[in-house]
Amino acid sequence: MYKLTKEGWKYLEEGLPELNLVRILKNPLSIDEARKKIKNFNIALQWAKKNGWIKIEKGDLVLVREPKHVPELDALRKVSQHGSIDEKMLTMLIRRNLVEKERESIVKKAEKYLKEREILNLPPELIKTGLWRKIKLKPYNVKATGRTVFAGKRQPYNQFLLDIRRKLIELGFREMYGSIIETEFWNFDALFQAQNHPSRDWAQTYTLKTPKHGSLAEREIVENVKATHENGWKTGSMGWGYKWDPRKAAQLMPRAHGTACSARQLAQGIEVPGKYFSIVRCFRPDVIDATHGVEFNQTEGIIIDESLTFRSLLGVLKQFAAEFAGADKVRFYPDYYPFTEPSVQLSAKHPELGWIEFGGAGIFRPELTEPLGVRQPVIAWGMGIDRLAMFKLGIKDIRELFSQNLRWLRNQVMI
Amino acid sequence: MPTIEVSHRDLCRLTGRNISVRDLEERGILYVKGEIDESSGNELKIDIKDTNRPDLWSAEGIARELRGQYGTETGIPKYNIKKSGLVVRVDKKLRAVRPYTTCAVVRSLKITDDVLSQMIQLQEKVAGTYGRNRKEVAIGVYDLHKIKGPIDFTTVKPTGIRFVPLEFTRKMTPKEILEKHPKGREYGHLLRGFREYPIFIDSAGEVLSIPPIINSNHTGKVTKRTRDVFIECSGFNLKFLGPAINILVTALADRGGIIESVEVQYQDRKITTPDLEPKSISLDVDYCNRVSGLNLKPEEMCLLLERSRYQARNRKNVIELLYPAYRQDIMHQRDVIEDVIISYGYNDIDPEPPKLATVGKSREIESFVERVTDAVTGLGLQEIITYILTNKENIFRRMNIPDGRVVEIENYVSSNWNVFRTWLLPGTLEFLSRNKHNEYSQRVFEIGDTVKLDPSRETKTRDVRKLCAAITDTRVGYEEISSILDALMRNLGTKYTLEPTNHGSFIHGRCARIVSRGSRIGFIGEINPLVLENFGLEKPVIAFEMDLEKIFESL
Repeated sequence: MYKLTKEGWKYLEEGLPELNLVRILKNPLSIDEARKKIKNFNIALQWAKKNGWIKIEKGDLVLVREPKHVPELDALRKVSQHGSIDEKMLTMLIRRNLVEKERESIVKKAEKYLKEREILNLPPELIKTGLWRKIKLKPYNVKATGRTVFAGKRQPYNQFLLDIRRKLIELGFREMYGSIIETEFWNFDALFQAQNHPSRDWAQTYTLKTPKHGSLAEREIVENVKATHENGWKTGSMGWGYKWDPRKAAQLMPRAHGTACSARQLAQGIEVPGKYFSIVRCFRPDVIDATHGVEFNQTEGIIIDESLTFRSLLGVLKQFAAEFAGADKVRFYPDYYPFTEPSVQLSAKHPELGWIEFGGAGIFRPELTEPLGVRQPVIAWGMGIDRLAMFKLGIKDIRELFSQNLRWLRNQVMI
Repeated sequence: MPTIEVSHRDLCRLTGRNISVRDLEERGILYVKGEIDESSGNELKIDIKDTNRPDLWSAEGIARELRGQYGTETGIPKYNIKKSGLVVRVDKKLRAVRPYTTCAVVRSLKITDDVLSQMIQLQEKVAGTYGRNRKEVAIGVYDLHKIKGPIDFTTVKPTGIRFVPLEFTRKMTPKEILEKHPKGREYGHLLRGFREYPIFIDSAGEVLSIPPIINSNHTGKVTKRTRDVFIECSGFNLKFLGPAINILVTALADRGGIIESVEVQYQDRKITTPDLEPKSISLDVDYCNRVSGLNLKPEEMCLLLERSRYQARNRKNVIELLYPAYRQDIMHQRDVIEDVIISYGYNDIDPEPPKLATVGKSREIESFVERVTDAVTGLGLQEIITYILTNKENIFRRMNIPDGRVVEIENYVSSNWNVFRTWLLPGTLEFLSRNKHNEYSQRVFEIGDTVKLDPSRETKTRDVRKLCAAITDTRVGYEEISSILDALMRNLGTKYTLEPTNHGSFIHGRCARIVSRGSRIGFIGEINPLVLENFGLEKPVIAFEMDLEKIFESL
């Protein structure tokens, strides 16, 4: 595209200088005289002479012929209106610096540029100006997955435990509180485990070097528990028949089972009907191997209501087997726990693992509940969920639940 | 939970009925709270889950129960006792070391391999599990014909006598036995510190045993040729010793032995053992139905209990019961109710889940922790879990800080795990040290419990939930971790400041204290290269750790 130069515009408005010169030459005029009357005299003289319109005689300018038609003017007018003119005229006008090539706007230039090639990145300018419509974006290798990045995510075993917690809450269970370090009172005595019972042996539970003794619970509860151990108190039991030692009960130990939480909850006061659970870390002096970790989590809880029977306990277990192990078949085995009577062990038929021991349960002994001020039957249950966690996470060694292998953690799927 | 070995053939013979292993597994063994652990040919390994039923820890005991349940012999088992005329005199000098004994004679035994192995196993299990590793109950069985009554149960100086202990050939003093005999070394601790040791010795001066250590090889060796035996149990409490002797003699009586009593003379009284007089308890029918949910008629309960070897008589909604003297587990009606249900059959009950309207609820701190975990994982960190148990080396010395006060285990299994952690960072660094071969950068965090001493509380301790986050790479910058802390705190809506401080675990000049609402809640900074070296780490680590409970409480 071409456009008029400043001079071109001036000529278009004021006329061509050579033409203006011709017009004042009705009579011959001296060069000096003419110079005074005409702008751009030199140009006018040069072109009027070249066109053969005038000649110089004895220092005067003399008209030879007046032009009838001046194509240059038409050409200028056309250029000013973006029309096109013939090549020769154009070259001449350009040489006379009346017409020039029109410089492209940035946008026009970009348009032309973008039309010519594919581009990689989509810059915000193109989106804002709408120019993205005119471009072609280069295709990516959409099969490329790029550099490996690692999601920030939960530890898989923790995630599993969280899922169990959520399910228990959905089933109407409330979470209980317990302390990592417990008095033997809550860990054993309140659960009616005699002070000389083998499960209280040093080989079965940890004892502490520091601190050694805690303080005992509320006096009334302590008195009730003492009397129940010694002679059965008002529970209808014979009791263990020995002298109960409060100092032994005040000894501190790391929590050996989650039932300590249940005992505390019962003593604290409990809603009837009520369902409670805890998933807590427990500690026992086991020799560490593929089935015994340094620490382990216990999932357990209690259900309290006037209407509860052993039949309802079996119903609860059957429901757990279905909800947590996906089992439609269950079998019940008579079992022994020091704090429940009757007691039962649950086997569930897991769709992939086959028959697994899935939990233990029972109805708390009255020697446990009554000294804590609870009159209603209390179902106590525990679930062996670590086995399911191991299955889900595809591991054979229980210690791997606490995996120290970052690669394994990174590569575990989240669902 | 004792595991006992029995012969299937022997068990069937004693039961008087051929019960297949499969039937045993699915039904029979459930009546004795058992589980068949292993069966290969004739040999069965059975776990008996009830630690309060030592009477079930032998083929004889199991068979007795099965006879009832399979209907070959129901009701309370009957045992006749004759008088042996044998006397055991108990010396008062035994008071501190081993004051009590219960004794018996059993005659006319036909000791086969099965009888012998069951007798030895029952002794071991009763003394080991029920008798707390011979502390509460030690048992001796002797060839009656090598003993001349009366027998003295007295004390002897450690070097005061010499005799040949079981399975040895030369005479030894009790002191030598404690030092050299395998049983002496195993159980010697039960006599340690006493100036005189207990001894059973007959009127001819023949030693029977040094309880709870070892029998004499002469009197205390029972073989297949032995016909009549003298049995004693010794310990500290007749409550244990009574049932123990009863269990042993009834097992032998079930083999055809004839039980005879022995008179045990204490300083102030005489008792005749064994005492097989049945014990009584009554069962409230309504209570039984309330607990079991089975809705049984009294007659049905009686039938079930007779099969469980009780004698039952129904008297207007109360069932009067007699049960055998070898049972010492019945303290409450509940124990009887369980026997009713076991007799009924757990798997014959139609389970019925209770319909209770309760509202489930998480602990508030746990819901808070869940949100914190969401925030930190959202910031691109991988969660890890480590053990709460650790050791002082890890949490103090390797961290380049002075030892602090901790909760410490006395009877630890491994010195790697004998104190409760006070902070999480050492465990995190240990984790990183195990992953040096894995791809960097490594960005991890843990939220977990730590244990703090707190004398004001019932347990003298307090569990404190903390958060530790760490990043390691070839190059790390402080702001990488402080920006994560900042993002977390902004999202928790917690205002905080970072105040420059010095801490042995962090590089001097590259550590700040995290302070919120005037309370110091943690540290942030770059780990001291000395600490990196202690953990074998080769790349720089930046980290922060803070107390989540303080943030939770201030919300």
